[in-house]
Amino acid sequence: MSNQKKRNFQIEAFKHRVVVDPKYADKTWKILEHAIHEIYNHNASGLSFEELYRNAYNMVLHKFGEKLYSGLVSTMTSHLKEISKSIEAAQGDSFLEELNRKWNDHNKALQMIRDILMYMDRTYIPSTHKTPVHELGLNLWRDNIIHSSKIQTRLLNTLLELVHRERTGEVIDRGLMRNIIKMLMDLGSLVYQEDFEKPFLEVSAEFYKVESQEFIECCDCGEYLKKAEKRLNEEIERVTHYLDAKSEVKITNVVEKEMIANHMLSLVHMENSGLVNMLLDDKYEDLGRMYNLFRRVPNGLLTIREVMTSHLRETGKQLVTDPERLKDPVEFVQRLLDEKDKYDSIISLAFSNDKTFQNALNSSFEYFINLNARSPEFISLFVDDKLRKGLKGVSEEDVEVILDKVMMLFRYLQEKDVFEKYYKQHLAKRLLSGKTVSDDAERSLIVKLKTECGYQFTSKLEGMFTDMKTSQDTMQGFYASHPELGDGPTLVVQVLTTGSWPTQPNVTCNLPAEMSALCEKFRSYYLGTHTGRRLSWQTNMGTADVKATFGKGQKHELNVSTFQMCVLMLFNNADRLSYKEIEQATEIPASDLKRCLQSMACVKGKNVLRKEPMSKDIGEEDAFFVNDKFTSKFYKVKIGTVVAQKESEPEKQETRQREEDRKPQIEAAIVRIMKSRRVLDHNNIIAEVTKQLQSRFLANPRRLRNVLSLLLNEISWRGIPLTENCTVILLEGIA
Amino acid sequence: MRRSAARKTGQSNSTAPITSSATDLFRSASSKASSKEMERIDNLFYSYANRSSGLIDPEGIENLCSDMEVDHTDVRILMLAWKMKAEKQGYFTVEEWRRGLKALRADTVNKLKKALPELEKEVKRPSNFVDFYSYSFRYCLTEEKQKSIDIESICQLLDLVLGSHFRAQVDYFIEYLKIQNDYKVINMDQWMGFYHFCTEISFPDLSNYDPELAWPLILDNFVEWMQEKRT
Repeated sequence: MSNQKKRNFQIEAFKHRVVVDPKYADKTWKILEHAIHEIYNHNASGLSFEELYRNAYNMVLHKFGEKLYSGLVSTMTSHLKEISKSIEAAQGDSFLEELNRKWNDHNKALQMIRDILMYMDRTYIPSTHKTPVHELGLNLWRDNIIHSSKIQTRLLNTLLELVHRERTGEVIDRGLMRNIIKMLMDLGSLVYQEDFEKPFLEVSAEFYKVESQEFIECCDCGEYLKKAEKRLNEEIERVTHYLDAKSEVKITNVVEKEMIANHMLSLVHMENSGLVNMLLDDKYEDLGRMYNLFRRVPNGLLTIREVMTSHLRETGKQLVTDPERLKDPVEFVQRLLDEKDKYDSIISLAFSNDKTFQNALNSSFEYFINLNARSPEFISLFVDDKLRKGLKGVSEEDVEVILDKVMMLFRYLQEKDVFEKYYKQHLAKRLLSGKTVSDDAERSLIVKLKTECGYQFTSKLEGMFTDMKTSQDTMQGFYASHPELGDGPTLVVQVLTTGSWPTQPNVTCNLPAEMSALCEKFRSYYLGTHTGRRLSWQTNMGTADVKATFGKGQKHELNVSTFQMCVLMLFNNADRLSYKEIEQATEIPASDLKRCLQSMACVKGKNVLRKEPMSKDIGEEDAFFVNDKFTSKFYKVKIGTVVAQKESEPEKQETRQREEDRKPQIEAAIVRIMKSRRVLDHNNIIAEVTKQLQSRFLANPRRLRNVLSLLLNEISWRGIPLTENCTVILLEGIA
Repeated sequence: MRRSAARKTGQSNSTAPITSSATDLFRSASSKASSKEMERIDNLFYSYANRSSGLIDPEGIENLCSDMEVDHTDVRILMLAWKMKAEKQGYFTVEEWRRGLKALRADTVNKLKKALPELEKEVKRPSNFVDFYSYSFRYCLTEEKQKSIDIESICQLLDLVLGSHFRAQVDYFIEYLKIQNDYKVINMDQWMGFYHFCTEISFPDLSNYDPELAWPLILDNFVEWMQEKRT
């Protein structure tokens, strides 16, 4: 048995069955042509799909594809020409409806025709690179209907007219618009763009150019922006309803350009309603709208930012240079904080927390705060006021909030070392007078400063707190070891470490005998436990509580300064004392003595002394008596000291002092840098030093160069002048 | 055009090996007239049959076809096989041969040839067509235990069996089968599905196709594909 090959049946259907007759092609085509007519005449129901399909199939199979295809083209074309006439004949509004209706008919017909001619579409057309049936149908429609001379312009005008009507408030048939536009899109993006979109955009630009001009002339800024926003939203909505989604960005660009970009400056600078007015009046909604609209156009936000910045700088500058304001430091700083709050709100509520705006705000504040050289001092005074009384009764969270805001202002200072100096002074006064509202608040602020500026900045401040605590312990120890002193005057000593506290000039003052004895006892006690230290009494900073009995027997407890106590105690042994006698006895310096006497003799309600003559000023010939007629409704009376005329040093002196203070810091920075880098060129030294000192003050490059050259001279650099290109080399042996 | 006469004479001893008892029984059971017919039928069989196997093999079928002036790939050969209820593609046994030719009342090649148009008509009758249609699938299962046919062959078979009546549907089936990836072979159930689809479903709109009914999944997919194509 031989191994037979299996054979499958091949496709060879009925080749011999069909007779290839020359008239066959014509006959078959006639059937198909008739079918196409019937289809266009809405008479398709009587046709047999199977039969028509087979006929088309056979034509292609027998190499009559060309005849079939060209027949299709001419038949469809002639039908379309008729259709074109009926559309042209439509009047008024029914033009679009007729076009739409005929388009739907054409699509249905095309679908059926394509089904019948599927075989040709799949075999003949690809091999001859002809246009497939469906696409052919669309192209013929485009050429015979849309681009027909009588329809093309009319169609475009009708569509643009409808858009215009809608823009002026009329209601149009959106469904119909959508269908017609979709038709243009189906015919290809080129048709959509050329036959509709381009002209649409041009006409829209013209429309908005005119409208924006009208609005600018009659509306204020806020109203204009509302209108612009409304138009923008309308256009977006229009696109979603009946245009190609790709048109959205194009039409919004048109509106943005015509309504916003072209009028940007007029809007921002509009009198009485422009950006500055909105800022002044906290018009969050209007500002927010402006932000949202301007961010869409090139340089929109930049424009807003620039105007805001210049306005802020101007306002800030006025604030810090206004002589009225400068009279009240606390008010001054409060105004700054208020201004910061105001702009923080604007940026968060209207400018969507935009970082670039935040930066502009920060740079503006930094600019004007530093225009006033006293800003660091004022901020310290503000804090001083708060910590003495302002924060009384305020909750812990709110305290933190206020301190954080102060820190914000602090960060803007370029001369942070000046702040430090004042802060130290103010803190010393608060601590020594016990006049702080909350220890926690004090400490919290120290921590914040430490975080911001580093340990160096706050180490001395912390030392002050430590001294206060240690002193308490020391006092306890003192009285515990001297129980016999329990009956005498109570001494409260605060031992201050010299480096930590602001330097005070040493002032002479003779204490009354009881006091000086007590102080000596304390001195020996203290030095007994702390060998190698030196104590010096700061009589200009102390206070005393003195019990006094006046002429009519009225008793009062007077809270006075140490100087004042010394003066008062003299009257235990004398009824009348001249100025000279008092000066001799107490050895208090003249200016301090005069102020001290003035406070006790010339101030209403505090005049425990009587002066002859009763003038306001203290003369060297004046005589003093106890004022037996002194009255006060309070048992405890606090007698302050009159403030000196020029309490703060004149500015020039202060600046010189500051520069002197800074020199060692600059030198230290230079040495630090050279030690780590060893070789460095001149420019880089200046840059590095500036960076290092940034947290304390803004270094002047010329000053840095001076200090550097002085330093080099000290190590005898042979007097070679320092230029930009020099390189400095660290030599060993520089400590 | 080859003549079969030379062959006939050359196979004088082809009748010799057939001495099985079944054949004897068969002979003796028939009447004179029909036994004469049967004898001619048998003779015709053996003129095409392979000597060693005793069957008409593909080569023999090819010879028969050329004698009948019909291409061996023509669908009418398939119809003939159906009439014979032939089991194995490419082969006819003597029983099958006898069955078929007796039914067609043909005992010569000429008569057989003349019987073909009538056979076609018979197959096309709706009552028979379904049977023929399912037969044609089974006839292509050439391996033992084979239950399905590869896509390529199915396409050819569809065209052969249904192409004359359902040209459009077949063209679309074939296009779909070639591009889909879910199925590499077709089974009897799916095969029958194609036929029922052609006879029941309106084409090309497919408006009365209900996927909820028990159509094979491949047809659901086909319908989906068609609907996508036409939008």
